[in-house]
Amino acid sequence: MKKSILLFALVGLTTIAFAQKKKTTTSATINFDATTSIDNLPKADNKTVIASIDTKTGNVAFESVIKSFTFSNPKIQEHFNGEKWMDSNKYPTATFSGKITNVAAVNFKKDGTYNAEVAGDLTIHGVTKPVTTTATVVVAGKSVTTTTNFSVKLADYGVNGGAIAAGKVATEPKITVMAAFN
Amino acid sequence: MIEVKKRNIWFKRILLTGLVLLIAGGIAIWYIFTEKFTDTSTEPAVYTVNAMDFIKEFQDNENLSNKKYTEKIITVNGRITETEAADTTINIKMRDTITDAYIIFAFQQQHLKEAKQFKEGDSVSIKGSCSGGTYSKILEAASITFKRCTVNK
Repeated sequence: MKKSILLFALVGLTTIAFAQKKKTTTSATINFDATTSIDNLPKADNKTVIASIDTKTGNVAFESVIKSFTFSNPKIQEHFNGEKWMDSNKYPTATFSGKITNVAAVNFKKDGTYNAEVAGDLTIHGVTKPVTTTATVVVAGKSVTTTTNFSVKLADYGVNGGAIAAGKVATEPKITVMAAFN
Repeated sequence: MIEVKKRNIWFKRILLTGLVLLIAGGIAIWYIFTEKFTDTSTEPAVYTVNAMDFIKEFQDNENLSNKKYTEKIITVNGRITETEAADTTINIKMRDTITDAYIIFAFQQQHLKEAKQFKEGDSVSIKGSCSGGTYSKILEAASITFKRCTVNK
């Protein structure tokens, strides 16, 4: 009897393990572009973003270390992380937690390019807001690549630097997120 | 008449001084905002560490380690556990296989070619700017990230 229970438990755990379709990467990238017509400096890349996607439930998540955004100019990098901007000592990461709301339209077992609708909570500078966006999901064998583009209104997240008012930083920077899950 | 002449001389001196200061200020601002990060390979490292000891130091006290190492140029010596290629870039990781805590290195564009020659299991020395350590809820593990990296020769 005990052996049967143990066997059932083992089969059950194995089934659960294989049923979970969570893929992760630690090399997703985020491009942040807040350039304006009078200043082309405020743009940066973060190449070490942590991301996950559950191909069964459609759950997606991102974690981005603010200090990992790399600008070309040291002064802009310093301002970006400073107290008047992202205040990265106090708010070290920006995160997103949500899901692909039309996950049934994305066939993760068939190679192809799919249009996904994504909704979730975006947390920047300690402020969480619901966001919706679209994403492109490319399935190629076991590899899944997701790309999304959206804008963020800095003021919504309590980021109101003087440079924004001066027109040197875009009020709604463009964000591009790309994650390759293998 | 003499008083007027004296006033004019002083006025010109003040104007000239102001102009010189304005130009100097403009040059300084121009320099600051056109400056670019130097190639990390030319920067001296503030610390040289062993990867696993470095991870342990962060695990023992993340706050203290972040204060000590963040935004510093550090050389890390260790064994590569994973390489992750994405689009045109590549990242190298050194992971503690017991705790899953890891260090990840993102390279400067001019050093990508060197980074791509390495594979899992290689021992390597990498120099870069430490962005600090955080705990990932997604991975349930600690991570320490580096940017602007180069292979240390």
